Amino acid sequence: MEPEKFYYDNKIVRNFGIATIVWGIIGMTVGLIAAIQLFHPAANMGNQYTTFGRIRPLHTNAVIFAFVGNAIFMGVYYSLQRLLKARMFSTALSQIHFWGWQLIIVSAVITLPLGLTTSHEYAELEWPIDIAITLIWVVFGVNMFGTIFKRRERHLYVAIWFYIATFVTIAVLHIVNSFELPVSPFKSYMVYAGVQDALVQWWYGHNAVAFFLTTPYLGMMYYFLPKMANRPIYSYKLSILHFWALIFIYIWAGPHHLLYTTLPGWAQSLGVAFSIMLIAPSWGGMINGLLTLRGAWDKVREDVVLKFMVVGLTAYGMATFEGPMLSLKQVNSIAHFSDWIVAHVHVGALGWNGFLTFAILYWLMPRMYKTELYSKKLASFHFWIGTLGILFYAIPMYWAGFTQGLMLKEFTPEGILKYPNFLQTTLLIIPMHIMRSVGGAMYLLGVIVMAYNLFKTMRQGKLVANEPAQAMALEPVHTIEREKAWHRRLERKPIQLMVAALVVILIGTVIELMPTLTISSNVPTIASVKPYTPLELQGRDIYIREGCSNCHSQTVRPFRSETERYGEYSKAGEFVYDHPFLWGSKRTGPDLAREGQKYGNAWHYNHMMDPRVMSQGSIMPNYDWLISQKLDTASTPAKIRAMQTLGVPYPAGYDKIANRELDKQAKDIADNLAKDKIKVQSNKEIIAVIAYLQRLGVDIKATKTTNK
Amino acid sequence: MKYLRLILLAVFVMFLQPASAQNDSLVSPEMQNYIGYGAIIAMMLLFLLALLMILRTFKVLTKVILKSQGYTNQQIAAELKPAKAEAKPKAQVWNKLLSLRPLSEEKDMIMEHEYDGIQELDNPTPAWFMVLFYSTIAFAVCYLLIYHVFGLAPLQYDEYKNEVAQADAAQKVYLSKAANRVDENTVKFVSDPEVIASGQAVFKQNCAACHGEHGQGVVGPNLTDEYWLHGHKIGDIFKTVKYGVLSKGMPTWEKQLSPKQISDVANYILSLKDTHPAAAKEPQGTKEEDNKIAAN
Repeated sequence: MEPEKFYYDNKIVRNFGIATIVWGIIGMTVGLIAAIQLFHPAANMGNQYTTFGRIRPLHTNAVIFAFVGNAIFMGVYYSLQRLLKARMFSTALSQIHFWGWQLIIVSAVITLPLGLTTSHEYAELEWPIDIAITLIWVVFGVNMFGTIFKRRERHLYVAIWFYIATFVTIAVLHIVNSFELPVSPFKSYMVYAGVQDALVQWWYGHNAVAFFLTTPYLGMMYYFLPKMANRPIYSYKLSILHFWALIFIYIWAGPHHLLYTTLPGWAQSLGVAFSIMLIAPSWGGMINGLLTLRGAWDKVREDVVLKFMVVGLTAYGMATFEGPMLSLKQVNSIAHFSDWIVAHVHVGALGWNGFLTFAILYWLMPRMYKTELYSKKLASFHFWIGTLGILFYAIPMYWAGFTQGLMLKEFTPEGILKYPNFLQTTLLIIPMHIMRSVGGAMYLLGVIVMAYNLFKTMRQGKLVANEPAQAMALEPVHTIEREKAWHRRLERKPIQLMVAALVVILIGTVIELMPTLTISSNVPTIASVKPYTPLELQGRDIYIREGCSNCHSQTVRPFRSETERYGEYSKAGEFVYDHPFLWGSKRTGPDLAREGQKYGNAWHYNHMMDPRVMSQGSIMPNYDWLISQKLDTASTPAKIRAMQTLGVPYPAGYDKIANRELDKQAKDIADNLAKDKIKVQSNKEIIAVIAYLQRLGVDIKATKTTNK
Repeated sequence: MKYLRLILLAVFVMFLQPASAQNDSLVSPEMQNYIGYGAIIAMMLLFLLALLMILRTFKVLTKVILKSQGYTNQQIAAELKPAKAEAKPKAQVWNKLLSLRPLSEEKDMIMEHEYDGIQELDNPTPAWFMVLFYSTIAFAVCYLLIYHVFGLAPLQYDEYKNEVAQADAAQKVYLSKAANRVDENTVKFVSDPEVIASGQAVFKQNCAACHGEHGQGVVGPNLTDEYWLHGHKIGDIFKTVKYGVLSKGMPTWEKQLSPKQISDVANYILSLKDTHPAAAKEPQGTKEEDNKIAAN
C-alpha cells in the first residue's frame, strides 16, 4: 500500500501565532497601566474609559482569552495535525475560527472600556458576545473532531486527551455561567442571585484556570517538550493517571474562592479537601515534563527554548502547590482579598502560560519559515529579563499581601483595631506596588523584544503555508486485534473519550452545584431584606458599569477584625435580590457590604468627586463624570420587569410607576445635598450611586428603617 | 556531658525568668510543661549518647580482643571496614527514591507506539508521587470527617464565636488593669498642651476632611463658634464622637479611636473655641455660654 500524501496547514498556525504576540503586548500594556493606577490614580488620564475598574477586566480578558487563547489555538492547530497525520478538517472553518475569535476580542476591547459588563470575573462580556463565543467554540470543536475523524493515526496521543477535555469542559462552563436574562442589547441580569450566583461564578472562574490555562497547556507541553528536547515522554502510566485525576478533581475545587462567605459549610469544605488532593495530579504534569528532560539537561544549558520550558514548568509546580495551600482556611483568612492572590495568579500566568507560549513561538516560527531564529542573544535576553520580571513582580506582591493581610487583623490590647482606617494599610504597601509595576514593565519589555526577534525571523525566511507530509491510511477497524489495556482501547475512540471526560467533570459539578441551586432551604431568607428601589437598582448598575467590585468586596467574613471594621458578618439571605452578586475577589479598598448610612450623602458626593478630599492619600480615582452624566431612566421599566421575571417581588405593574418613585427618591437626596451647599440636579448618575451605597447592608440593621 | 547539662540548665533558667517575673507563683503550669518537655528531650539525648558510648566501647573492645588473638593493625582495620562498604552510592539511593531507572535501560522501556516521532517510556509512576497522592487523599478524608462527621473542629460561625469570646475576655482583663480608662461620664476637661497636641493629631487625621483643617467646618459644622448641635460639654462632645450622629452624617468612631484618643480630640475641639479661622462656616444649633464648659 502506498502512503497518502497531504499538506499540513501552517498558515493558520502562523496567524494564531501573530495574534498571540499582538494581543499579548496589548493585554500586558493594559495590565501595566492598571498597575500604575494603583499608586498613581491620575494614570487613568482623567478618562472614564481608561479607569482601573473598566480596564482591569480588559486586562484579564485580553491576556486570558486573547493572548493565551490564541496561543492555545496556535499550539493545538500545529500539534493536532501532526499527531493525527492529517490536515485540519476544513480550512474554511479554521478561517472562521480565527477571524471569529479576533472579532470577539475586538468587541471586548470596545465594550469593556464602555462599561458594558456582567461583572462576572473572566466572563465580563455581555450576552451577545457570549453567544458569539459559543458559536466560535462550536466551530473549533467541529474542526478539531473533524480532523480527529479523518486521522491516519489509530490512537490519540495524551496531548489530544487534554485538548478534548478542554473543549468539552469549557463548553459546559461557559454555557452554565452565561445564563443571563437580556434587558437590552448590551445589558443583562444573571439568572442566579447572591450566594448561588457566587457559587456558579467561582465554579466557572476556578475551572477557567483549570481548563483554559492548564489543560490545553499541558497538552501542548506533551507535544512540544519531547519535540524540543528530542526525548521520549517519561511515563505513559503517569500521563493516564494524572490526566484523569486532574480533570476529575479540579472541577470540585471552586468553592475555595468562597471560604468564610455565606456559602454552606459543606460546600466550602469540599472545595478545600479537593484542592489538597489536587497537588499530586497537578504535579504529575510537571514531573512528567521535567523527567522527560532527563538526559537532556546539557541541552537546557544552551537552548533558550528549553530554558523557557523548564522555568515554565517550575512556575507551574510552584503555583499548583501554592494554590492548595491558599485554600486551607487558616492561610486563606490572611491571603484572600489581598495582593498575595495577585502574586499567585501571576506566577502561574507569567511563568507557566507566558513562558510556555514564548518557548513554543521561538520553536515554531523558524520551523514554519524554514529558517533559523534571527537572534539567539535577543531570545536569551528575553529569557533573563522575563524571569527577573516575574521575580520583581511576585516578591513585592507576596510581601504586600502578607503585610496588609496581617495588619488588617491586628488589634491593640484595648480591643480596638490597630489600623482601623483601611487606607493606612494601603499607603504602607504603595512602594510594593511601584516595584511590581517595574517587574511587569520588565516582563513586557521582554515580550516586545521577542516580537522584534520573531518579526526579523519571519522576514528572513519564507512561510511554508502548506507543509507536505505523508502517512499510511488507517486499515479498517475489524482487522485490528483487540488490545488488552483498556486505556489503549479508549485512545482509539474519540467520542467515547470525550463522553468519559464529560462524565468525569460533571460528577463534581452536579454534586456541588445542584443542592445549592435547587434546594431553597440552603438560602435562609430574611424578612427585613427588601428589593432595591428603582433608583438604587440604577445606581447598582452604575456600580457594575464602573467595575467598583474590582476593588471593593461586598461580603463581611465572620472574623472579629472584619465585624469590628465593617459591622455584622454577611448572611446568605441578604443577597437574594442580587442579580448578579457583587462580592468581589480583591480588597484594594475597604469592604462596602455595610457602607449604607455610615457617612452622610455629602461625604459620598465629595468622596466620589475627589476621594483625596475626604481621605488623604487615597488611591481611588475621581469619578467626576458621574456628576455630569445624566441617569438613563428610560431603561427603568424594562429593568424592573426583568427583575420580576427573575423572581424579585416588585408588586404587579410596578414598572409603570417605577420612574415616579425614582424621581422622588432622587429629589430627596438632591435636597439633602443642597443642605450642605452641594448643588446637583437630581437626574445625575451620582444621585443613583449615592442611593445605592446608602442602601448597602441597612436592611438587616434592625434599629434603622430602610433608606427612603 | 557536663556541658550539655549546663546548656540545658541555662535554657531552663532563661525560660523561667520571664515566667517568674509575670506570675506570682514561681513556676507556672506552662513552665512546668516546658520543663517536662526539656526533661524528656534531655533524657532522649542522654539515651542517644549512651548508645554512642556503647558502640564506641564495642569497637574498642573488638580491637583489643583481635589484637590479643594476633591480628595485625591492618587486618583489624580491614575487619572493621565491611560495614561501611555496604552503603550504596548516593545517586542510586536518589534514583530509587524517584523510581528512576538508569538511562542505559531506557531502550527496553520504550513503548511500541510513537506519535509524530514522540515516543513514550513505560516507566511506573514514581513511588513518592503515589505516596504524595494517597496522603493528600487521606488528608482530605480526615478533613471532611473532622469538620462534618465528628465535629471535632469548629466551622466558621462557631470559630467566630470563640474568637470574639476570647477577645472579650482578654479585653476585660486588660481594661480592668488599665488606669486611664475613660467614657462619656468620666471624661475630664483639661488644657494640658500634651493632650491638646495629641488631640490635634487625631483631628488632622480623622476629622479635618469634614470639619476643616482648623475646625472651621466644611461638610460638618463649624467647631470654633459658640453654637452647638449636640451639646458643648466635654462629655457631650465625647459622646458625639464616640457614637456619631448617623442621621446627620457623623460616623461612629468607637471602633476606630481608643477612649483616650476620643478624650484628647474632644479636648482639642474645646480648645478651638473662638479661634475665628478663615472661611468659617455659618453657625448651626444653639448658642451656649462660655463659662459652662469649665464648669462641667
